Parts: sequence; C-alpha cells; structure tokens
Amino acid sequence: MPELNDITNSFIKDEIDEFIERNDERFHLIEAFSQADPRLQDISAALIDGDNTTVDKLTKEALDVGFEALEIMDNGLIIAMSIVGIKFRENFIFVPEVLACARAMKAGMSHIEPILSASGIKPVGTVIMGTVKGDLHDIGKNLCIMMLRGAGFEVHDLGVDTSEDEFMDAVEEHGAPLLGMSALLTTTMPNMGKTIDTFIDNDMREDVKIMVGGASVTQEFSDDMGADGTAADAVGCVGLAKTLLEELKREQGE
Amino acid sequence: MKKIDKSAYQARLDRITELFENMATHATEQSSFRCPYKNRFNECTAVFGCRNQRKPKKENGLLLCGGDDKLNYQNAWEEGQKPSYHLGWDQSKQAKNESNTTSTQTMNINQTVFDLADSLAVKIPTSCFRTGICHECIVEINQGMEGLVPRTESESFLEGDYRLACQAQVINPDINITFTPLHRKPKILTLAKEKDIALEPVVERHGDNVLYDGEVIDQYRGNLYGLAIDLGTTTVVINFINLETGQSVHLRSFENPQRFGGSSIMHRISYDGKYEGELRKAIINAINKEIEDWCNQAGIRRQEIYEIVVAGNTTMRELFFRLNVQSIGQKPYKSLIEKEYLSGARQTTSLTIGTRRLGLRANPKARVYGAPIIASHVGGDVASDMVAVELATRPGISMLVDVGTNTEVVVAGNGRIITASCPAGPAFEGGGIKYGMPGYEGAIESIKWQDGSFNYNTIGNTAPVGICGSGLIDLLAELRTHNMMSPKGVFSDRKQYELSIVNHAGISFSRQDASNLAQAKAANYCGQYIVMRAFGVSPSQVDQLFLAGGFANYVDINNAIAIGFLPPVPEERIIKVGNASVQGAREILLSRSQRQSINELVRNIEHIELETTPDFFDIFVEACQFKPMPKVLT
Repeated sequence: MPELNDITNSFIKDEIDEFIERNDERFHLIEAFSQADPRLQDISAALIDGDNTTVDKLTKEALDVGFEALEIMDNGLIIAMSIVGIKFRENFIFVPEVLACARAMKAGMSHIEPILSASGIKPVGTVIMGTVKGDLHDIGKNLCIMMLRGAGFEVHDLGVDTSEDEFMDAVEEHGAPLLGMSALLTTTMPNMGKTIDTFIDNDMREDVKIMVGGASVTQEFSDDMGADGTAADAVGCVGLAKTLLEELKREQGE
Repeated sequence: MKKIDKSAYQARLDRITELFENMATHATEQSSFRCPYKNRFNECTAVFGCRNQRKPKKENGLLLCGGDDKLNYQNAWEEGQKPSYHLGWDQSKQAKNESNTTSTQTMNINQTVFDLADSLAVKIPTSCFRTGICHECIVEINQGMEGLVPRTESESFLEGDYRLACQAQVINPDINITFTPLHRKPKILTLAKEKDIALEPVVERHGDNVLYDGEVIDQYRGNLYGLAIDLGTTTVVINFINLETGQSVHLRSFENPQRFGGSSIMHRISYDGKYEGELRKAIINAINKEIEDWCNQAGIRRQEIYEIVVAGNTTMRELFFRLNVQSIGQKPYKSLIEKEYLSGARQTTSLTIGTRRLGLRANPKARVYGAPIIASHVGGDVASDMVAVELATRPGISMLVDVGTNTEVVVAGNGRIITASCPAGPAFEGGGIKYGMPGYEGAIESIKWQDGSFNYNTIGNTAPVGICGSGLIDLLAELRTHNMMSPKGVFSDRKQYELSIVNHAGISFSRQDASNLAQAKAANYCGQYIVMRAFGVSPSQVDQLFLAGGFANYVDINNAIAIGFLPPVPEERIIKVGNASVQGAREILLSRSQRQSINELVRNIEHIELETTPDFFDIFVEACQFKPMPKVLT
C-alpha cells in the first residue's frame, strides 16, 4: 500500500502531510503521487506554489523529453490543482493564491495548446475580457477567466482600466466572437454602454456577443446598456458564454 | 507526439471545470466576509486604494491589510485612489490620523463612542446592554472630549479623560474623536512549582508509533505535546506540556474574548441563546491563535500536539464543546451532559471529542478531554482544583474555596464531599460600585487607614482611577476596624452618605456601595456557611482551607475574615494555591490514574443548591453584615 514516504518530491510530501486531512483524499493523493514520475511531481510542486515561470519551463521540458500531453495534464497539472482546491476549501489559502495557481496552470497549458491544434481540437471559443475604464477591480473578472479557460475557451485578458478602443482592437485582432466587460463601481458602469455604442458606430456590433458583469450589474442594466446578457458569478459566466456563442453561430448561419 | 483524442481531452476539461466550480463557489462564500484581494499573509493584492491598507512588512513588499473580517471590506475600498497606506486604528496604540481621506468614520449627533467603536471594529465589553451600569466599557478619550456631551450621572465616577463608551454621545460631529479602550492588563496568575507526578499519559510513544489510549494515531515526529487549559470565564490560561517528560514548556494567558457576550455566566448563556455560536467561535479562534503563535515561536508543528485537557465551569465547557447551554441558565441549572448522566444514558460527565470536530488546530487525530462536571454550575474547573490540591485524600477536613466570577466551595473529609456554587456577582469586580473597577492599571488594590487618611497602592503604580476587589475588602475591613462604619454599613456619622477615599481623585465610597458589597459578600458567605454546616463542621475544625482563583490570591486574608468574606479558619491553615485549575488539568493530562480517579470521585460528591436551603434567607440577612462568620456554626 503506497505511503507518504514513497513520494519522492519533498515539497509535495509536506503539502499533503500539512494540509490534506481527510483520509479518502489523502489516500488518493498519496497513491497518485507515489507513482508519478519525478518530473511531473516537480511540475505539480511548482503549480501548487503558484510559480508560473517554473511550470512553464518544466512543462516544455517534459514535452521535449517525450511525456504525453494528457499525462502531463493528469499527473502534473490537474492533480496539483486538486490540492489547491482542498487548501482553498479549508481556508489555508485564499483567492489571490488560487489565481496565482490558475495562472501557473495556464502557463503549462500554453505548451499543450499547439498539440491540441495539431490534433484538430479547437478552443470552444475566443473571449476578450477586461475591466472598464476608470475601474481597477479585477477579482471577479479573474475568476471568470479562470473558469472560461478551464472550460476550454481561449481568453485574452486586457486587465483593468480598459478603454473602448482597446476592447475594439482586441476583438478585431483575435476575431473574437465574445466580449466580456466587468465593472464594480456604479460610476464606471456607464463605460460599458459607451463601449457598446462604439461597436455600433463602427459597424461591429453584429459580429460579437457582449456580456457584462460586476457586483451591481443586473439584467435590467444589461438590457439598458444594450449588452447581450449578464451572469451572477463565475460559474454562470461559462454557461452564458456558451449560450451566447450558440446564438451567434445561429445568427451567422454557420 | 501522439495526437490528443478529443473526448479524452474533454474529460480532462470536465474535471478541471469541476475543480474550478467548487473553487468559485467557495470564493463567493469566503468573500462574503473576507476581502478577496487579501492573500494568506494578509497582504493586499489590489491595484486600487483602500482604507485598510497598512505599511508593508518589507520595503517593497505588498501593503498589509488592516481589515478584520467582521466589517464590510468593500466599504473601505477607495474609489479612484492609488494604493497607499493608512496609519489607521492600531488598538494598542493611540491612532494618528494622517490620511487626507476620511479614515475616521463620520459621526452623527447622538451616536456614542460605543457606536464609533462598532464601526471601527474595536471590541469593547459590556454586560449591562450599554446602560451605564457595569462599568466595563471605560475608554480613554485621547482627542475630542469637547465634541461629546458632558459626563452623565452614571459616569460621575470617572475623571480626566475617561468616559463610558455607552454614555458618551457626540454633540459636535465636526470634531475628530480618538479613543483607546482601557489598557487591559489583568493580573493573571503564573504557575507555582510543578508537582512531580508519575507519568502515565494517555498519549504514548511506542518506537515509531504514537498511541492514543492504545490506538496508533500517528508516526513519531520528534515530540509529543499536550495542552492543559483553564477555561475561565474571565481569564484563560494555557499550559503547553511535553508529554514525554511531563515538563511545562510554555504558559500563556489571555482575557477570555467571550466578554463581548457579557461578563457573567448568565449573560453569556442568554447571549448564546440570541447569537448562537458566536461565543464558541471567539474562544476557539483565540486558542487556535495562541497555538499558532507558540508553534511559530518554538519551531514546533501543531501536528505534534496530541491531546488537550480543558478545565472550565459547566457553561464555559459546554459552550466550548458545541453544546446548547440554555438548560444551564434555568432551574435546576443542569447541562445536557449532566442530565444524560443522571438519567443513566452516560457513564460520566467528562467529555472526549476529536479536536477536528471542534475546529482546533492540533494533530488531526488529537483529542480534547473535558474534565468532568460535578453538578450544575460546579464544573470541571473545581474537579481540576481538587486534583491539584488532592482534596479528597488528605487527612482531616479539607476545604476549597475558588473565588472567581463565581465562587465554588468544597468541603471534604472522612469519605464525604459536599459542594455548592454561588454567583459572586460583579461587585468585587467593580460592577455596581460607584468607584469600583476590575483589576486593571489604576485600580487601588490595597488600602489602609493611617493617621487620619487613607494610604493605598494601585496596580501599575499609576494614578488611582478606582478600587478593585482586594482594595474593597481592605477598605471594608479598615472601616470596621477603626469604627468608621457599622456592621450594617452605616458610617459613624449616621447622616453621612458618602466617604471621601482619595480626595484629589474624587474617589469616594457610599452607603449604597457598602450595601451592594454586603450582598455580594453575603452570597460568598452563604455558600461557605451552608456547605460547612451541611458537612457538620465549624470553621475552627477545618484542617486546611485552600484558596484558589485569581481574586483570592491578592486578598488580605485577615481582612477577608474580619468582614466575613472568608470563614475564621486559623490563618496558618489557609493556603493560597493560585490557579489550581490549570495545575489539576496538567495532572489529568499526564496521568491516567488521576483521570480515572477524578471521574470516580465526582460521582460521590453531594451538591447543595443554596436557594433551596430552608433558612437560606435568614442566613443571607445575617451574612449581609460586615462581621466575621461565627466560629461555631449552628
């Protein structure tokens, strides 16, 4: 029966020892990691540590020496993410740490994407995300981006304080069918409307579905601004994105 | 490179989505009270300004978050401002407000300093629902006294910059107000020399295994630690003990944070009825924090803590163990556990539960052991006292009086043990006494009448602010000795209502004060009198009287006997034992046989309910007089 001491990577061993208390989870993780190749364990360790530079480097190396993409995902990235999830659930870490780990995962996935393309696997869709001009709040947006990527979307993050032109340029450049705008402040929410107006003025409104979000954003507000929809949280964001994508495809007769 | 199969990839995506969905849901929940920009080091990861931002630890490090998770953090976010740090409210130091935005809350007319404290998440205790009676909410106004209404009647005992937070209302909202809660340094007892006892703890090491009561629970990590906790109503003491050597490696004490639910047991029971779980959370968090601090200091992992013994009165223990305490607040004042024991559903009133069930941060398989309840309010703390002083095995008649927020009395001898508990009431902590106060800095703790005036000592040797319990006992005894007051609390000039004690500080003592103290003292007296009488013993026949508890340690024994606070046992037979409860808890932790024997012992202890004693009222009336208890009890 595999034991904690069978895990070669000492960081992973300590993580499991310190933070995983439920017997079933402990067992499952010890089993998985005691069999995982040390290189993959190193990737896991870096992901749990939120170190995207190292995950990036090690994932590339692993692919170069011949590890299969799915194996890297399973035994390097996803299993590590499950530890992150447990630590978060038990309040050992918080949202900023989770986002750092999600970024690390993305860094790893960036090397797997070319293989996906080569296998004919396309992203579910491309989304441009940003917080509007004058607004510096981004946690909600970041959680949505994490969910969207996890669901297979390709997401381009414009960050905070994004102007209408920046939104438009990004949509054009990536040919994105989806745009997501976030605003926390009631004072900056009108900028969403302004952005949408800019799209209309530039004859681009029909080519993209626009979703809006933020603590004070309601369905009514979304309608008033001329957006295509809003969702209450990050989980809802994924469902909305998929729905809007479907809608757009139907409208464009694909 | 092999091509990736689409459905295989989709399966991975589904798994990732599942993980992320759980996290997103938890994030929503967590951010209902904790700012999501705050990382695990309590640093701020936001790119915008916020009133909670504080100076970073390292020069170019992230700003720290000064927010506590009780107030809406979003209210602190500052729109349109770059991050900067605010000196903000540091509770132990005076706050200097340098920010150019409104860091203080804007006040409205008629709001009290207590309201201001609420909005700044500064906790101030009260047990009279902020009506000006309990005197627990004393604050020092550092700035802005002129923006407050003048002192009200109930504040007339305060001078200088002191106000009662609940009474001080704002009349001019344009004046900035700065305040600090009273600097709380209670005199907390430290341990006397440790008793050497035979080590046979429930937690043992066999080779590489760690066993709890014979069951393997862990691999040896290098150390075995246990905690002995005295869970007092007012003060909590934690003793960290090495289970292999029996040595105490560290001692910590702190004010029981449950004070915000009231300072007496009844108040806390009532509070728990209204705001269930708050009191429990407060104490668990406080203990976890102490454990964390010590582990960091000592370089120890919490996984090396394998057992925690808790000695506390019935209510304190049951709150801690997640039980409903309402039945303890009503006749016959029995906890749910005691009821189960009496009905035969339970073998003992002690409790054992895994630390994880209570949310305590120790080894995941560690256990908490709650020392057994004796009866009604007489709980594991008294059982623990008895272990420490070996009350039941001494020759002759032994008596234990534990004076705390409540007073418990035990008389033992010739195979018989009788106990009772009485609420000491707040008078000896200053409640209801005009110039009374708890044992904090500025309290007169001893006083003598010499050459026509009062000479006194204060705690901390600072200017006198009021008188605490030991000072009050001295005062009463001195007034009696020098015939300045009759046993019934009437001053020698029968028309005089008030006596000046410290003229320049305005501290005085009134007949009303004497009357309140008389009743508090009478409760103590009755407990001791009735138990001794039920046992059939007179004070002069008591061979040993053990005085336990914080308050008793500072009391002048002769003065206490003179006014009838303690029985007239010959002075050489009175032994102050300090915090016997934590000492007993240590023994329970280290010795299986002690644990077993105390459990057996408590079964045979007779409990007397004072109120149902037929002549209680007569005794009480007699007890209200400031004179010694008779040497022979009838």
